[in-house]
Amino acid sequence: MRLQRGPGLRLPRREMERVGMDLSVDLAGVKLKNPVMLASGTAGYGAELSSVIDLAAVGGIILKSVTEKPRGGNPGPRIWETPCGMLNSIGLENKGVDALVEEVLPSLAESGVAVFASIAGDTVDEYARLAARLDGAPGVSALEVNVSCPNVEKGGIHFGIDAGATRAVALAVHKNSELPFFVKLSAAVSDIAPVAQAAESGGASGLSLINTIPGLAVETVTRRPRLGAVTGGLSGPAIKPVALKAVWDCYIATGLPIIGCGGIYDVEDVCEFLVAGAAAVAVGTATFQNPTGVLEVIEALPGALSALGVESPCELTGSLQV
Amino acid sequence: MIDEKGRSAWPLSKAKLISRQKASRSAHILDFEINRSTEVPSPGQFYHVDCGGGREHLLRRPLGVHGTMVSAKGTARVRFMVEVVGWGTSGLCALEQGAEVGLLGPLGRGFTPVDGGRAMLVSGGIGLAPLFFLASEMDKKGMDYDLLAGFRTGDDYYPALSGLKGRIEVFTDDGTIGTKGMVSEGAVRLIGNRDYSAVFGCGPEAMMEAVADACEGSGVGCQVSLTSRMACGLGFCRGCVKEGRDGRNLCVCSEGPVFDSRDVKWKE
Repeated sequence: MRLQRGPGLRLPRREMERVGMDLSVDLAGVKLKNPVMLASGTAGYGAELSSVIDLAAVGGIILKSVTEKPRGGNPGPRIWETPCGMLNSIGLENKGVDALVEEVLPSLAESGVAVFASIAGDTVDEYARLAARLDGAPGVSALEVNVSCPNVEKGGIHFGIDAGATRAVALAVHKNSELPFFVKLSAAVSDIAPVAQAAESGGASGLSLINTIPGLAVETVTRRPRLGAVTGGLSGPAIKPVALKAVWDCYIATGLPIIGCGGIYDVEDVCEFLVAGAAAVAVGTATFQNPTGVLEVIEALPGALSALGVESPCELTGSLQV
Repeated sequence: MIDEKGRSAWPLSKAKLISRQKASRSAHILDFEINRSTEVPSPGQFYHVDCGGGREHLLRRPLGVHGTMVSAKGTARVRFMVEVVGWGTSGLCALEQGAEVGLLGPLGRGFTPVDGGRAMLVSGGIGLAPLFFLASEMDKKGMDYDLLAGFRTGDDYYPALSGLKGRIEVFTDDGTIGTKGMVSEGAVRLIGNRDYSAVFGCGPEAMMEAVADACEGSGVGCQVSLTSRMACGLGFCRGCVKEGRDGRNLCVCSEGPVFDSRDVKWKE
């Protein structure tokens, strides 16, 4: 049955459920059953959330970034709520790539979810070694290359704000792994397009946009920062307009598929990201308030798409009329 | 455990406010009825509470359980003692009867009771909330304890303390009631003079550190409940971690909030 198309035309919800909608998307060869993923850093290594939701129901999970060696992260306090968002300064605490490969991935591979392993390095060589270590690791569908963490001194955001360094990292990952990889960029740059193009020319399969935005919270009585590491990364609905612009800019500037992320809270937000150019999205901070929220978004997606007169998520991608 | 829509029956639930009373100048007692079967919380465990902040206030607020009961209808009820600190707690302390909140829990590792002998419970301020629950449970089992409760002033005193069966000693900063001075000083003195089977502490870190030091000096086991700002409540965001003595991170929400005091790295 062919659905009617056009603005304002709706298929009755019951009819929609009867017909069903193919929500699957293809991200540079990675097939997702739907375009709604769990964002890196807000879903751990999957196991912890699996006591609350069935991971197989989500489009994919982007794991917490790992480094070559385990990292203890930053001193506390590490989080502070801000209007419509939060600051965090976790500082890439992680168990290291070896533990990820040996302890996490084998069981995750059986859960039926598309797994994106996220890597972060201090040097180009570390990114190269991380990519090589994960190449062929069980159950990994793709890599997210985090060149934009604002909470570590070396590496991190310093790669992601420089086109040359971003290209060097992309080239290194490309050379050392067969896996598709998505470079996660920062919007804390004056122009994201050249950085995105550098990732593309380095062989990136796609982009992941955006990481948290550097921020500061102050306690006036003590004159102290709210976070132990002084500054942190802002996430949540407060950064959604910034993320949407980054997605749109990169959609125009590159031919790469984009995973949009930043302040997604409900299905309307998902549709906005698709319209701005995202092929898939990742729900991050909202998971803290509602761990099952990602499932509610996925459930609501067919109705929302049909209300917009489209038959699939990809029909909406990049449909912004300007 | 996970339903046909991919959601877990546990630990998410909705809870309706049955009653809210002002317990003292600074604390409210809130009783909630939980809309589904839930694990029975043990003293020291907490719920991560969605206070209805929507997009504005994204994070849940962790609240230690103050009491639990089964209603006449057989539904579970949970009691919290809440002090107004910020947006979340002031909202909770203004909730009307019948209002609903979202609960995630019970979460974390609570106090581990020690059989035999006499235990000491020592609280500072709102740290009384989980220790009162522990004391009530010890009463049910006929266990002996001294409860030392510190308050800023007499107006903060929690009258329900007099209903407990243990020996209660009250301290206030200004001496309006009980002994004038810090509860930690009283606790340290007693730990040095008497044989306790275990010490359980909850309150400001400086108080717990002093108590932990005294326990270590006397060879008494000490369990402390730590407080930290939390995001996920389930152990995966690593937002609430504190540094442990061996350099390992202690995840307050999933490995705690109650820890062996010897595992905690106290500030110098």
